[in-house]
Amino acid sequence: MSTVSVRYIVNNVDEAIAFYCGHLGFAEQMHPDPAFAMLTRGDLRLVLVAPVPPGHPGGGSRPMPDGTKQQPGGWNRFMLEVPDLAGTVDALRRDGVRFRNDIVTGVGVRQILINDPSGNPVELFEPVRPEARLAGR
Amino acid sequence: MTPDPLDALRLPIVPVEPRPEFADDLLRRIGMARAGRAAGPAARPAATVRYFVDDLDTAISFYCQQLGFREDLRSPGAFAMLHQGSLRLLLSVPGAAGAGRALPDGTVPAPGGWNRIALQVSDLAATVAALRDAGARFRDDMVTGVGVRQIVLLDPSGNLVELFEPAAGYRDRPAGPRTQGGTP
Repeated sequence: MSTVSVRYIVNNVDEAIAFYCGHLGFAEQMHPDPAFAMLTRGDLRLVLVAPVPPGHPGGGSRPMPDGTKQQPGGWNRFMLEVPDLAGTVDALRRDGVRFRNDIVTGVGVRQILINDPSGNPVELFEPVRPEARLAGR
Repeated sequence: MTPDPLDALRLPIVPVEPRPEFADDLLRRIGMARAGRAAGPAARPAATVRYFVDDLDTAISFYCQQLGFREDLRSPGAFAMLHQGSLRLLLSVPGAAGAGRALPDGTVPAPGGWNRIALQVSDLAATVAALRDAGARFRDDMVTGVGVRQIVLLDPSGNLVELFEPAAGYRDRPAGPRTQGGTP
């Protein structure tokens, strides 16, 4: 089965590794450079990069040709399915994890938005309809 | 004229879906709806990403026609669900119902930002040339990093999609207990 790759820009890669592995069940696959790490969780490969200067060997977080620097944030995000959203949110809040909103009930899922330490969003969802479910794991 | 009481029993005219892949999609969706029943790995996308887009139809056309996604469902003006391989891509319109809703503090989601999906292609130069011919816009030029060549594509709303081609030294999944093998 193929792997889905998502790249997130973070301010501090070590801090991000601790967050994603410590709170959200990711495993570190490689961290060969202070500005780069690759984590996995199921079929999701999360590439964490800190902004680097133009000459840096890592190609994914250099500034654009017009000089614009890449930075964390925005609204686009990957989503993680959890079986018990309320329980997960309670546990994460006790651990000091920050959220952007409260639990929202949509058409197929209940969902909430986490902020990672750099301010990137991660959506947690609990399906309320079977077709919203992902492959079991 | 008195309405025909039988009208209440007549079925509405349902337009026939003309896409040849409709049957495939339908079978896959039936498979998805069978909770807990394995319908084959390809039938169940395994990772989900949500992007915000300004115009739903334009975005669906872009992802399906330029990047090989397939449409699973569409709620006009608000939401669509696409897939490509193991990736399920949700497209949400800011301000619309569901994930497009404003936060409690009034902030409305928006397209853009730097976080992105990364799609592997076998021949990046050819893919980029074909996309340019089709009118696609790129945020940068091809960059060679450690293990991959890559470029950042802009979708019609200004969201980024990274395309990459493995180079020498690229490791798809490092050795370890989680390794599943295979190339995406």
